[in-house]
Amino acid sequence: MLKRNWLYIALLAALIVLPYALALVAGEPLDKGVPLFGQGLMVQVFIFAVFALSYDILMGHTGILSFGHALFFGTGAYTLGILVKYGHWSILAAVGAVIAIAALESLLIGVLSLRVHGVYFAMVTLAFATVGSILVEATDFRDWTGAEDGLHGIPVPDLLNPALHRTEFYFLSLAFAVIVFLLVKRFVDSPAGRVWAAIRENEARAISIGYNTLIFKVQATIIAGVLAALAGALYALWNLSATPLTMDVSTTINALLMTIIGGSGTLIGPMLGAGVLQLLGYFLNTWLGSVWQLVFGLIYVLLVLFLPFGIVGTWRARGGSWRAAWSEQLGKWRGVLKLAKRR
Amino acid sequence: MVNRNLILTLLVLVLLLALALGGLGASTAASVLLSGITLGALYFLVASGVSLIFGLMDVLNFAHGSLFMLGAYAGWTIYTNPRLILNTAPLALIVIAGAAFGGIFAARFAVPRWARWLAALIAIAILVLAVRGLPVDKLVAMGATMTGKVIPTSQAEEPIGAMLVRVGIAFVAGLAASFAMSPRGRAETPSSTRRALATAVVIAAAALAILLLRDAGEQAILGMENNARFVLALGFGAATGALIGALMEWGLIRPLYARPIYQILLTLGLVFVFDQVIRLIYGPAGAFMDIPSLFAGSGNNCPSPDLFAWFSQHCDSILVLGRPFPSYRLFIIAIGVVMLVAVALILQRSRLGMIIRAGVQDSEMVEALGINVRRVFTLVFALGAGLAGLGGVVAAPFLGVYPEMAMEFLLQAFIVVVIGGLGSIPGAAVGALLVGLARAYGDNIVLAGIQLPGMTSAISGSPAIARASTVLIMAIVLLIKPTGIFGKKE
Amino acid sequence: MNNILEVDSIQTFIGQFHILEGVSLEVPESSITALLGRNGAGKTTTLKSILGLTPPREGRVVFAGKDVRGQRPYDIAALGIGYVPENRAIFRALTVEENLKIAERKKGDLARRAEMIFGLFPDLKRLIKLSGGQLSGGQQQMLAIARALVPDNRLILIDEPSEGLAPILIEQLMESIRSLSAHTTILLVEQNFRMASQLADRYYLIDDGRTVKQGAMKELVNDRATVHRYLGAA
Repeated sequence: MLKRNWLYIALLAALIVLPYALALVAGEPLDKGVPLFGQGLMVQVFIFAVFALSYDILMGHTGILSFGHALFFGTGAYTLGILVKYGHWSILAAVGAVIAIAALESLLIGVLSLRVHGVYFAMVTLAFATVGSILVEATDFRDWTGAEDGLHGIPVPDLLNPALHRTEFYFLSLAFAVIVFLLVKRFVDSPAGRVWAAIRENEARAISIGYNTLIFKVQATIIAGVLAALAGALYALWNLSATPLTMDVSTTINALLMTIIGGSGTLIGPMLGAGVLQLLGYFLNTWLGSVWQLVFGLIYVLLVLFLPFGIVGTWRARGGSWRAAWSEQLGKWRGVLKLAKRR
Repeated sequence: MVNRNLILTLLVLVLLLALALGGLGASTAASVLLSGITLGALYFLVASGVSLIFGLMDVLNFAHGSLFMLGAYAGWTIYTNPRLILNTAPLALIVIAGAAFGGIFAARFAVPRWARWLAALIAIAILVLAVRGLPVDKLVAMGATMTGKVIPTSQAEEPIGAMLVRVGIAFVAGLAASFAMSPRGRAETPSSTRRALATAVVIAAAALAILLLRDAGEQAILGMENNARFVLALGFGAATGALIGALMEWGLIRPLYARPIYQILLTLGLVFVFDQVIRLIYGPAGAFMDIPSLFAGSGNNCPSPDLFAWFSQHCDSILVLGRPFPSYRLFIIAIGVVMLVAVALILQRSRLGMIIRAGVQDSEMVEALGINVRRVFTLVFALGAGLAGLGGVVAAPFLGVYPEMAMEFLLQAFIVVVIGGLGSIPGAAVGALLVGLARAYGDNIVLAGIQLPGMTSAISGSPAIARASTVLIMAIVLLIKPTGIFGKKE
Repeated sequence: MNNILEVDSIQTFIGQFHILEGVSLEVPESSITALLGRNGAGKTTTLKSILGLTPPREGRVVFAGKDVRGQRPYDIAALGIGYVPENRAIFRALTVEENLKIAERKKGDLARRAEMIFGLFPDLKRLIKLSGGQLSGGQQQMLAIARALVPDNRLILIDEPSEGLAPILIEQLMESIRSLSAHTTILLVEQNFRMASQLADRYYLIDDGRTVKQGAMKELVNDRATVHRYLGAA
């Protein structure tokens, strides 16, 4: 057990030590300067890791290509924001409401959209998500959503205020990410998870074995939707606001990008992808200014073209060893040489 | 089968329309009807391409709304600010020439994946070098493109020498890109080599000619009579859409036919890239495009009492049942109808159409007959993209140009094809009409407000609500017939 | 006699699967050559490999003196190879006339050869305005062969023409193919050994993706042991 998972455990240990290590290296207290900032960056990594993970349930494990995942992320953010700010709900009750609303929403959209397959599904989910983003920006609901400015100033108890208690928030979001990871791992390894995999490999066969695949797909959609909404809710807490960006297509593209960078269907891959993307995004932003988003888009296009299985996927395909990877590459190179000679 | 569907749909449509419009006065009803058809014409121009491309090559192009937007920007730019095009188009063209030229050599090697990465990165690096410091912001600052601070062309442009250096560097970038995109170690025939060489030379010559004649070109375009300039804008927008579409298919989508899911991941990424490029050049704010004078007359006898009077008066609006309706929108309808007929004629009467109809069923067999299917794919992609680009320019004087129009029209086009069924042109036409009418009717209700019995005051909303509400139709169609009205069984 | 087609130990993979592990054959001009073998032996893949639809990784495919391996299917077909696939692949949305017309490589191909085609398949003339989807199986088979005759093809690959046809139709079809061989060269894949043995001059036997035997058809007919071993009961 320990031996097989040493990589995961080492990663977790490193993340637990990270704030203190940052403080030590920078010579600053935990709540100031570099450590404060570093934790903030990592909080976003954890939040998006969960978001990417929830996306991987659909794309990587059930073989459902959704282009509307931002809808759930945004739903989480706005539900929490509106209930806490205008409904004066407690955070816990609001989170409960987020779960309920997201479950209902993904059930509805799942049942409607899953009547169609493949690219149709991608198209239909994108349409639903676009409606979500139109509605939060609509001036009609300005009193609730703040229209294009977004909803700002969500009141939270001091203990949860990310500005005041950064380290606590760091561990809260780390714990959130770890718990969700373990939970999803259980789902994926469960009998239902095996049916998901069967659907991904060959839905017709899964049907012929006697599974009602629609139920399993709706189930996957609901789990993914709720987890994405929870990530969105945490994101709203972290920013103390909910903005139209949370519903935007670019947020869906982000999830896709993280999943592809890390490797779809690998669970840990998309989470690592979230890390890579968030940190890369930060540095590109400081380095390039407003062009960075374009650079981001170009990186995405290049990844799709040239690294389709992602980091973890590529690693696993080669048996987890760079040596094997290298020798395979060298083998290809030999092939090229041979070909050149023959011509 | 199709006929029964068509009749059924039309019946339901007419019934719904009668019900919906019955409550309005005759003149309001006519105006809503015409507005709906106007929007439907624009939706058709986007949706027909989506449908055509999916039908033939199973690629769902998420960037089709972006092509519409790019067409709009291109047409509007050549109309109001040609110098921006004249100074940047040569760079874009020379990259293509370089890629076509390099492709001749690249095709001879089986380029391994890591080398493709390297080539792509090198190409991007060189491209960045080629456009670095290009004074795009100065070139943009002119007339209607940016109010307030107009910079004269002589100060906005870079000297011709510097531009030629940029062109040279961009050519090298194209060479590098060809190695990233080359097909895997295919034997090329002498005829294809000759063709590629000829393409490269022609495009390079065009790029240089545009660059060397840029000032004269600007004078000539700005000096044109404004209706003629508008026709130029229409052609240019359509051509830009077609060119970008062809390049997309050739360079980005073609390498991915073995991995279909990645094709749509890619096109979704392009939505984002195109959006960012436009924001980078023009900023996030939109702009309006003037209505050409043919549709902007305002004399004593305006609005024109009827269509025949309009032909001599060119008023900005025409009376329809006593209520003025903008004449430009009638032009949009005309364009939509002409394009529908043109597409139908191409599909039913031309050899290309025959190949498309055959390829929709079995493109491998078409290939086995000795027909270059790849070229047909590129052609159809260009055709669909050209329709979208044309639609963008046609829409520009009506709706303006702004980055968000990409997603907006993509959404409506998707709803249209879900309703009509992917791969069916009649489906796209009926779907577009339906969504357009629903949208116009929704706009009318939302703006005027709804007052159900028992309510003290009417509830009114913003146009955003009407825009979002068309998705309801999609949901209903998904419930009743998931493959769409004209869709075949999956 | 010249060989119009020479296939030299081609290796073809479909995905991960090694389907052809060395198929070789020669097709002399103006003959009917039969390609025989059990189900799954690689007969269809051999035809597709010749055309480049499943491109072979190794080996040579020489058509009319030119190595075509690695070229695109449309380039190979345009050199003068017609293909009649197993499923006939008639375009349902096209009329019979369009199904023929689409195969033209030069303008007027169909007009030039109409007499020959409708002489062989007089029924098609009557059906010319129907859509491909309205034809019966036998009519589709005729149309598929006729389509391969429209351009000036020097070789026609025919895959399982008798499959799913009634015995009486098979007789007609054999007659048509026999008279066809006066105009062109045919490489025929056929499960129906009786039909293949009556039509073909020469045969190639493939098994497990390799050529195992070849020779004159007359000899094979008398070699019961071989027929039984490679083709099952016949």
